[in-house]
Amino acid sequence: MAHDTHRETELRPGEARLSWYQKLYVPEVLRGLAVTTRHFLGNLFGDRDQSTDVLYRKGSLGNQVATIQYPEERMPYPEGYRGLHRLVPREDGKPRCVACYMCATVCPAQCIYIEASEYSDDPIEKYPTSFVIDQLRCIVCGLCVEACPKDAIRMDTYVHTPPEYSREGFVYPIERLLKGPAISYPSDPWMKREDSKQPTDQHFPLHGIAEHSTEPVAQKEPLPQGENHPPQPVFAESDFQKQK
Amino acid sequence: MRAAQISAIILGLIAVIAGAVGAFYWVGAALGVVAQALFGAAYIGVAVANAHTLLLVLVMILASLLTLAERKWSALMQDRIGPNRARFALPGLSNRSLAGLPHFLADGIKMLTKEDFVPDSASKGLFTLAPMLAFAPIFLLFAVVPIAPVLTASDIPGIAGLAASMGVSATFPVSLQVVPDLEIGLLYVFAFASLAVYGTAIAGWASNNRFAFMGGVRAASQMIAYEVALGLSLVGAMMIFGSLKLEDMTAGQTAGLFGGALPAWGIFLQPIGFLVFFVASLAETKRAPFDAPEGESEIIGYFVEYSGMRFGMFMISEFVEIVVLSGITVSIFFGGFHLPLPPAWGAEAWLASHVGAFGLAVVLGMGFVLKVILLCWVQLTIRWTMPRFRYDQIQTLGWKILLPIGLANVFVTGALILADQSLDWLAVAGLAQLIFVIGLTVLYPSKKPISIRHSGGAPAQPAMPQGH
Repeated sequence: MAHDTHRETELRPGEARLSWYQKLYVPEVLRGLAVTTRHFLGNLFGDRDQSTDVLYRKGSLGNQVATIQYPEERMPYPEGYRGLHRLVPREDGKPRCVACYMCATVCPAQCIYIEASEYSDDPIEKYPTSFVIDQLRCIVCGLCVEACPKDAIRMDTYVHTPPEYSREGFVYPIERLLKGPAISYPSDPWMKREDSKQPTDQHFPLHGIAEHSTEPVAQKEPLPQGENHPPQPVFAESDFQKQK
Repeated sequence: MRAAQISAIILGLIAVIAGAVGAFYWVGAALGVVAQALFGAAYIGVAVANAHTLLLVLVMILASLLTLAERKWSALMQDRIGPNRARFALPGLSNRSLAGLPHFLADGIKMLTKEDFVPDSASKGLFTLAPMLAFAPIFLLFAVVPIAPVLTASDIPGIAGLAASMGVSATFPVSLQVVPDLEIGLLYVFAFASLAVYGTAIAGWASNNRFAFMGGVRAASQMIAYEVALGLSLVGAMMIFGSLKLEDMTAGQTAGLFGGALPAWGIFLQPIGFLVFFVASLAETKRAPFDAPEGESEIIGYFVEYSGMRFGMFMISEFVEIVVLSGITVSIFFGGFHLPLPPAWGAEAWLASHVGAFGLAVVLGMGFVLKVILLCWVQLTIRWTMPRFRYDQIQTLGWKILLPIGLANVFVTGALILADQSLDWLAVAGLAQLIFVIGLTVLYPSKKPISIRHSGGAPAQPAMPQGH
């Protein structure tokens, strides 16, 4: 049997075993032309589906154009996409960062540079006078976000590094990093100064972090299908352009 | 929504074509009147006008638009959008892609302003001559193609008054054909089509580049191989219509088959001849699936050393070749400029009685241009459907398949014409062939070829005898 199988494969290189009507060639060519023509007519006359969910596009009259016109149309990034960094501000506009150097220490690309200083009116907290990320060196690993004890650096912008004309343009100073909605927790020291009414044990639930939830994992609702993209982008590239 | 827009654009383009045909007639007749007044020979003026309107305007515009159409249509066939980024920096236009039209202007500017590079070791004179030799013969082919019927000058609006004001009679014929009444017709076509070989072969040799040289050799041998089939494929049509002139062939196709139920088009009488001619002419254009001479993606071809407009000449000559071969194919196999309706209906006489001779001529000329565009589209579709033939497959197809088929077609056609002068038997044979092919295409179950590396599942039983 093995011998037979071997002999069956004794065809010249590039030779396929065709039936007689395939060897006539013309009908098969016409079939091929029909396929091409179907695509042509559908795409010519049909309305294009503008949805960015390319795999499930269905235009009218069989239009199946899969192109995304990039600068104008963008595919949504998946949930949890590590985008451009931002320094999270507090309600008063100052950075949450306390210049603890943990992100700069953990960074494997050594792309974070911090200079610390102290608030004159608050001897407890430090703050960064300079917080610089070199986006050309950054490998977008996200370790800085995990290392941060104050939730002060995040990569939730869903924007990737915009182009620049010079290398210096990719070195982001604190003015370009401090963006986005302010975040404060009741446990934050600046919330608990004199007269604060928030109890300290409200800390974990208000973080909204799943690990601290007590409900079993199996009972959690699955993510709804087709809506697996969270509302985004929160930021436009222009938010990270240099201030003119 | 988009369907309505596209349909409106297509209708608008058809109207533009009709207007252009009318304008061609008018320019020809007007120059004819002038020549009649100056030299006493109207045909000089008509010929000069046709050489400009038909060759420079019609063929060149169609060919250069095909450079854009190739990219845009191929995009549609491949579920892409195609070129749409070049824009006019004008108010109101700066945000519109205009279906990619600016790209073809941008391409022209690019070609003309690129560095015109000549390799040091190239043969300078031949290097310059080759693009012209490749381009000119193809361009000349269109001279014998009749795109609309012959009119008397006075039928064209405004010409009778013009002639009266210049004191000449407007009774001379105006034809939309650069060289009317050329007795050698098709022989002229074959002669100039084969001259194009020199351009490619010389280009390959003069570049003094081994890859270009090999490409030139491939081009020359391929074109020589298909010349034979090209010539043989039309012998049947020559026998049927009894003439070498394309206008006689066009006129012959107004005859009815089966008592006028079917126009006597070449495609019905000579389907095999059409197939052989179309394949051979595709090979002559050196485009996919016959683009081994160029093979731009892996085996670079004969114009690899060319840049700028010299390369542009090679490229545009391909597209001119598409237009010209479509024109010749339409003239011989698709009824020329006549309407695709059974002659028994008398549609053309009805039109002539309602819109006059000039209106009928414009409609017919428009129909011809539309048929040409449709055939250009078919050629582009073939290019974007089929993979490239291997070189030995090209030669096998030319010498071992097309040539015998063409020869057999000549004998069968001759016998059937002898047997029945009214061509009905020939039409029966042709229709039977067409129905056979179309029936196979539609009815035969789609089946994957049995893979050489068949593995798993039920063993494939090939239809060949076992055990020896």
